[in-house]
Amino acid sequence: MRRAHLRFLDVREASVALMLVAVAVYLSFASDYFLAPRNLLNVGRQASVVGMVALGQALVIIARGIDLSVGSVIGLSAVAGAIVARETGIDGLSLPVAAIVGLACGLFNGLLYTKLRINPFIATLGTLSIARGIALLLTGGLPVPLAGPAEFLGAGRLGGIPVSLIIMLVLAAVFVVIAGSTRFGREVFAIGDNPKASRLAGIPLDWVRLRVFAISGMLAGFGGIILAGNLASADPNLGLGYELDVIAAVILGGTSLSGGRGSIPGVILGAVLMALLNNAFVLLGISAYWQVVTKGVVIILAVGLDSIRRDKSADD
Amino acid sequence: MSLLEARGIEKGFGGNPVLRGIDFSVRAGEIVGLLGENGAGKSTLMNILSGNLQPDRGTIAIAGREASLGSAAAGQALGIRFIHQELSLLPSLTVAENISVGRLPRGRLGLVDRGRMRRNARAALDTIGAMGIDPKRLAGSLRLGEQQLVEIARAVSHQPRLLIMDEPTSSLTAHEVDGFFAFVRRLAAQGTAIIFITHRLEEALSLCHRLVVLRNGALVADRPAEGTDRQTLIADMTGRASLFTYQPHADAPGERLLEVEAAGDGSDLAGIDLDLRSGEVVGLFGLVGAGRTELLELIFGARRLRTGRIEIGGRPARFASPADAVRRGLALVPEGRKVQGILPQHDIARNVAIANLGAFGRFGFVSSRRERAAADRYRQALGIRMTGPRQAITALSGGNQQKVLIGRALATGPRLLLLDEPTHGVDIGAKSDIYEIIRAEARSGRGILVASSETEEILTLCDRVAVMSKGRLVDMLDRGSMSEARMVELAFTGH
Repeated sequence: MRRAHLRFLDVREASVALMLVAVAVYLSFASDYFLAPRNLLNVGRQASVVGMVALGQALVIIARGIDLSVGSVIGLSAVAGAIVARETGIDGLSLPVAAIVGLACGLFNGLLYTKLRINPFIATLGTLSIARGIALLLTGGLPVPLAGPAEFLGAGRLGGIPVSLIIMLVLAAVFVVIAGSTRFGREVFAIGDNPKASRLAGIPLDWVRLRVFAISGMLAGFGGIILAGNLASADPNLGLGYELDVIAAVILGGTSLSGGRGSIPGVILGAVLMALLNNAFVLLGISAYWQVVTKGVVIILAVGLDSIRRDKSADD
Repeated sequence: MSLLEARGIEKGFGGNPVLRGIDFSVRAGEIVGLLGENGAGKSTLMNILSGNLQPDRGTIAIAGREASLGSAAAGQALGIRFIHQELSLLPSLTVAENISVGRLPRGRLGLVDRGRMRRNARAALDTIGAMGIDPKRLAGSLRLGEQQLVEIARAVSHQPRLLIMDEPTSSLTAHEVDGFFAFVRRLAAQGTAIIFITHRLEEALSLCHRLVVLRNGALVADRPAEGTDRQTLIADMTGRASLFTYQPHADAPGERLLEVEAAGDGSDLAGIDLDLRSGEVVGLFGLVGAGRTELLELIFGARRLRTGRIEIGGRPARFASPADAVRRGLALVPEGRKVQGILPQHDIARNVAIANLGAFGRFGFVSSRRERAAADRYRQALGIRMTGPRQAITALSGGNQQKVLIGRALATGPRLLLLDEPTHGVDIGAKSDIYEIIRAEARSGRGILVASSETEEILTLCDRVAVMSKGRLVDMLDRGSMSEARMVELAFTGH
């Protein structure tokens, strides 16, 4: 019975929170600059796009799928938004266009999975390549300048706090409600837990899966334009390798790769942890190449912990 | 003199008494059947006798001398072997390696003598009547029943004085059971004491010399098997007299709910005619593979209707998915709780609510409070033994999990309830509860279609029975012509 009260921050989230604290404490001693407000807000900004996209990815993984295409969708959506804004001269169009392109990519993934029954790993791997290719074709490989509201969302501040961080936190709050208190959220968890049982309980599996991928795509599109806004330019290579950070954030946050289990606060903590690790390399002056290696190690560790936890619970 | 004698055994977990002063003994060469519902304390008692658990109070004497069994190893040293229901074979090792594990025969140079290891394994398997298992196969590639036999062969190769087996026949085929029983009798004749935990009353009656029944942690009966019958045992186990008696309905059946005409799925089913009225309980009987489950799936939209037609409440029903069927007032409690029924990582409340989330909130939201309230309601109505709505469903016994799934189906307010093997793998107390639930739901006006492979279940519950054979519905029997012999005869029609 006492477990009920621990729900909000159960053991899985506690472990990522502990790691977070450990890294933060270490950095505050190792670097004089770490606790400077500018640096902390910077970390928050970095965490915001990963966190946003990880919210959608979390739903996908909880429903037993995976979306490898988010990095490329970030690039394609940003480029498409920037080009439409440039061609029409209406800067405000970059946001909705990016979100719609992201949504379309998500629907494409979802339809490949639900209609053609292509395994999501393969389907989204294909989309990863297609979306990146289209982004390169559209731009000829050159960045497109971007200004207007996208720049505000990406680089602006409200009361000293980065706008992107605020957006991410608002979205996270919305997702806490979606995951915990809506019919759709319940169905996502149920499908991930036991798809056969869910189908026989009358849950429309394909409709739920399609929406899950659509949401993930749309958030990637939205994240893409924010990322580009921060740089005031949409690079066709934007978001390259981002899927790694996003999936790592989701898994670190305690979401089970085998589906049916996960928490939104955990995902956000995971995203902050990834940003903190990135920050650590900059502050400590370690080669950026080591950063790439470390990300891989972190993913393997996180998945390894997940399967150890699963083995344990199987033994119980 | 008894080989093992336990006196005044008491054991509790977290303040809950599980065993309340049990006196139990077994002689050399005796086969004792241990019966009782799930949760009666059978496994706990056997764990204490084998040294896996320590009693809170009470003494155990082996061959007249008081023994302290501090661990399973201590029990094994005294010649006690307990074969648990959960198998402990190493799947990536061969059968022979599994049987010899921990004492592999060494040859010259200290290397494992594989030839001798295989011969030992062959001999051990032959003794227990498992001639068909090749010692060279990987344990993981064996059927569950075969794995069970390997486990038994391993225990027997230690030549125990007391062999305790927890439901050893649950996954064996009829043929394997015969060979296994012959072995158990031989082993007993050689002087080994055997304790046999089972849910199958016929097996207990035919194999055992003496039958001991536990109920709620107390020993309530200790009888010689000879002269004891099923009814007596059921009464001992449940504390209730008659379980398996048909209760006719007071009311005549109501409007026609389901009509199936010449229906088929193009592969497994063809030409099915069936009808069902509200307030009626209709059985679907047949051998394994007769198409009972498939027919339920066809009606429920989990299988595509290719030929013929189905009407629900007088309107045609061509369901593209179970979701459509649920919307039209159907609910299915599937066969195979673990695979197709429960959401193992969800609590009881969410397992109950998942089929009808719309009823637990508005505008797409779901109220956890209302889900929990529903779980509490069904806990009362269906007699689910649980600590609370937030308890993990996997913590419940099979019978209670099944009740949760029935609650899930009822929560959708179905007019037509489809039940596939509703009492498969549940203990006898839960079985009688589930029968009561089914009768009550029929009285309240639902139509109920029960697929079962147990003639007894059909005869107890159903007003009519449709007998299937090889994907066809052979005949529909009403109460007047229903009998076990007739049902089985019809089930073999297509064979």
